[in-house]
Amino acid sequence: MAKDYDHLFKLLIIGDSGVGKSSLLIRFSDNTFSGNYITTIGVDFKIRTIDIHGEKVKLQIWDTAGQERFRTITSTYYRGTHGVIVVYDVTNGDTFANVRRWLLEIENNCEVVNRILVGNKNDDPQQKVVLTEDAQRFANQMGIQLFETSAKDNINVEEMFMAITHQVLQKKKEERDRQKSTQDTVHVGKYQKSSGKKKCC
Amino acid sequence: MNSVQKLLSSDETIISSHEVSLVQGWMRSSKHLIILEKNRDLRGLLVVSETVDYALPIDSDFKFDVDSESKSKNVGDVFISISYQKQKLLFEMLPPSKANTFINELLRAMEYQSRRKTAGDYSWLKKYSKKTDLSLENQGVVMDASKLLLDYNEHIPRHSVARGAMQPVAARDSVIKYQMGMMEDQYTYTQGIQIFIGTWNVNGQSPSCSLSDWLSITTDPPHVYAIGFQELDLSKEAFLLNETPKEGEWLRAVTKSLHPGAVYKEICLVRLVGMMLIVFVEENLAQRVDHVVCDTVGTGFMGKFGNKGGVAIRMDLEMTSLCFVNSHLAAHTEEYERRNQDFHVIASSISFNGFLPPKSIKDHDQIYWLGDLNYRITDLDLMRVKNLINQGQYETVLEHDQLKRQHDLGHVFSGYKEGPIHFRPTYKYDVGTDEWDSSEKARAPAWCDRVLYRGEDIKQLVDYKSIPSLKISDHKPVIALFNSDIRIIDMNKYRKKLEEVMKRLDKVENEFLPQVMVDMNDFNFDTLRFLEAQSKTLIIANTGQVPVRFEFIKKCDDSNYCKDWLRIEPYTGFIDPGDKCDVKLVVYVDKRCASKINSGQDKISDILVLHLEGGKDLFITVQGTYERSVFGCSIETLVHLNVPLREISPDKLKELERSRDSSSVSTYSVPKEIWFLVDHLYRNGLKQQNLFEHPGLPSEVLLIRNWLDTGSTDPIPGSVHSVAESLLLLLESTAEPLIPYNLHEACLTASTSYLQCKQIISSLPLHSKNVYLYLCSFLQELLSHSDENGLDGKTIATLFGQIFLRDSPRSRNDPSARERVNQTKARKKASFVYHFLVNDFSDLISPVHVS
Repeated sequence: MAKDYDHLFKLLIIGDSGVGKSSLLIRFSDNTFSGNYITTIGVDFKIRTIDIHGEKVKLQIWDTAGQERFRTITSTYYRGTHGVIVVYDVTNGDTFANVRRWLLEIENNCEVVNRILVGNKNDDPQQKVVLTEDAQRFANQMGIQLFETSAKDNINVEEMFMAITHQVLQKKKEERDRQKSTQDTVHVGKYQKSSGKKKCC
Repeated sequence: MNSVQKLLSSDETIISSHEVSLVQGWMRSSKHLIILEKNRDLRGLLVVSETVDYALPIDSDFKFDVDSESKSKNVGDVFISISYQKQKLLFEMLPPSKANTFINELLRAMEYQSRRKTAGDYSWLKKYSKKTDLSLENQGVVMDASKLLLDYNEHIPRHSVARGAMQPVAARDSVIKYQMGMMEDQYTYTQGIQIFIGTWNVNGQSPSCSLSDWLSITTDPPHVYAIGFQELDLSKEAFLLNETPKEGEWLRAVTKSLHPGAVYKEICLVRLVGMMLIVFVEENLAQRVDHVVCDTVGTGFMGKFGNKGGVAIRMDLEMTSLCFVNSHLAAHTEEYERRNQDFHVIASSISFNGFLPPKSIKDHDQIYWLGDLNYRITDLDLMRVKNLINQGQYETVLEHDQLKRQHDLGHVFSGYKEGPIHFRPTYKYDVGTDEWDSSEKARAPAWCDRVLYRGEDIKQLVDYKSIPSLKISDHKPVIALFNSDIRIIDMNKYRKKLEEVMKRLDKVENEFLPQVMVDMNDFNFDTLRFLEAQSKTLIIANTGQVPVRFEFIKKCDDSNYCKDWLRIEPYTGFIDPGDKCDVKLVVYVDKRCASKINSGQDKISDILVLHLEGGKDLFITVQGTYERSVFGCSIETLVHLNVPLREISPDKLKELERSRDSSSVSTYSVPKEIWFLVDHLYRNGLKQQNLFEHPGLPSEVLLIRNWLDTGSTDPIPGSVHSVAESLLLLLESTAEPLIPYNLHEACLTASTSYLQCKQIISSLPLHSKNVYLYLCSFLQELLSHSDENGLDGKTIATLFGQIFLRDSPRSRNDPSARERVNQTKARKKASFVYHFLVNDFSDLISPVHVS
């Protein structure tokens, strides 16, 4: 069968329970928002195809349960992921503090992966407790791009998903170019470094 | 197929058929395409499901396209779109690998049709389709894309989907193209461009003068030039070898004389002998030109040489397809029918490759036909013609123009238009003058050089005229200026629409993912007890559009999809949309898992992963509180328990189980629970027939369990059989058998030698040894009453062999442990125990033992 896309990427959304992971996904895939909070108990995915410079990129975006008790299980879904979206709630400092743990989770379960940091619920300045400057400083320190979004008011959601997709696409192309150039040299085969980590990404 | 075969007349045959998916809106459905032939002549195409949906004549209105995307990829899906009178159907060919045969047949049918001179009678097709009108529109299949987008929910025939008769569309490329095609109006706009058409029969001359008077007379620079020449070179070399230096000379002359107000790009030049056609497009617009193809056809000497005929260039300018034809038709006044014929040959023979099927002249939005068409003035006296022309009374003369007459009769150029002629005939002049032909032949003046056009959105400007000032030929050049609307894609709107279409397809795909709802995600079981099953029901409801196959799957490194104290019935199943499935969750702690829970190695807590095939996973949490029991406690723990088990906390129990201290001073030398049970049997069961063989009552076993756990001072409840079974159960529920697994091999090897058996027993941990010897003493006592209870040593040895030397759960699951091996093993275990039923082992009993 002919492929109906040029690239297929798996993206994963992680972060504490209640930060709005599912809302971000539904805003991006269906362009809808529901104020009713239904906690995700499991992992679900939606697809969306976007056009990047004429190339069709099909995204399979996995939304995971954020509850602590599911963490061991959800970590098994990191396998094969191209990009991870780490979400916190700008109105809840604890969720921002936990970002470190989520990043560690990525490190433990993926070898090389594209990451993006997302402060969701950025629609009411009165409620905001995680300051943009603090989040930005942290993001810079970790070398991650930061987006402040609101799934409710549809702010920055599209841009954020586009950014991670661009990042994944660029990484893929760099990887391909690098493989091409290493094939041209005598060091073929020596390039692969062995690693004790689970190779899944 | 059958429905068609039944209807076939004797002179009708099926030529080819192919399985397809008809793409309608966002859905596709399974169909067959069948090519029929009648009387070895007329052909028709049927679209068949259970009955015939459409019956289309393969006539001049029939067109089809093979999706260019799949063409270029070679392998992959093949889509063909069939259009009939402006309506279009899109089909996916299944399997794509065999599509070629069918497409070739379809091409042949169309080729055959195009060669027919008269229209056929296709009424014979009507018997196949219920509808008598063949247009797709009247069969209700016209798809209004905008409506589809808006009312998308109504357009998904969900019931058909549920039955599997229809599926959501998948292969995107073709579908997107098709959907976008439907909405062309929504992202395109029209732009008027000026098209300059020029034609000149140069009579074999070289360009000795500037052509600016001809090519550069408009105020604004034209956007497109199509310039045709005839009789470029009259030499034999040109005719025979099709080579001439004139080509370059004239190209240079033309290029130099184009409108100075713009820069032009030469798009294509095509020449056949003396007929040459060049297309230029203004530089900026040239970037939007695509699919430029040219072709030539000769109709001259012998009906095929290139002294007469036509050359043509086609191109797409944005969304509009343009075709330019330059022809030189047969000469001589009386040969107007030859000219008609030449026209028809050119119109049907010109074929542009690079398309499947190749495009012909008529397949274009706009056609500009220019050239020396050679039609003359007839039935009018030469002097009168000249007089009328001198008086400027062209209309009277034009009534006698052969082209006008033939055109009015419908014999030639049907569907084409021509602007009003307000210029002197362009033929025939004395070279270098504006004087009519003064030679012997004194040819009558005629409008030989003409420009006709066909298509929508073409407006001819008043500038249809000849240029008398160019005098090097016996013909005058002619120009025609057009203001034509070109359909242009608004890239912003296009991208938006494309995104809309892709989003819609994504939405369909998302909606067709399996979806279920469960009534509960958390299951809590209160007060679970050893050997008491509890169950709850999980309801899985299929709330999606497609049938769902669900399965509870293993998570992480687990060996099973649930813990061994849980049963899921059924653990996998199939649910139709709108249906539901009841899944029973049964929690049951038995001898296999009690010890793990007592020791804290396991607890009543599990997360189940309910997986939907091709879809999401749901987590189901199962938790419970377990009332711990002496069943599942190790011997070491029991000998340290100086209070009833109920009175110690689970944590304390865990600690005891974890330390399993056999050296420290214990309260009892054998567990009091064992002592109670054995003592009861000693007092009440020595004479009981079938003791240990007759099963106890489950309810009594539970009472005995409570009696032991609470340390009751009442007499032991239940029959001796229930007490005997409880004793066995207690020994079987420990994490390790009385003789630990690591000694089993040695025991089996030693089974023939009492001495070696004794050595093994003497090496056991103290409490295990005590229990072992205590139980064997009791069994010896029991066997001493065999006259009354009918028990025999072999049977008892076999039974207790299996208990003292219980196999590990892993080896029990081992499929390689065959029955025969097991029998041998059982025999050896029995022999091991048997030694201790018939021999005196008092030397093994340690002095501290207190009975």
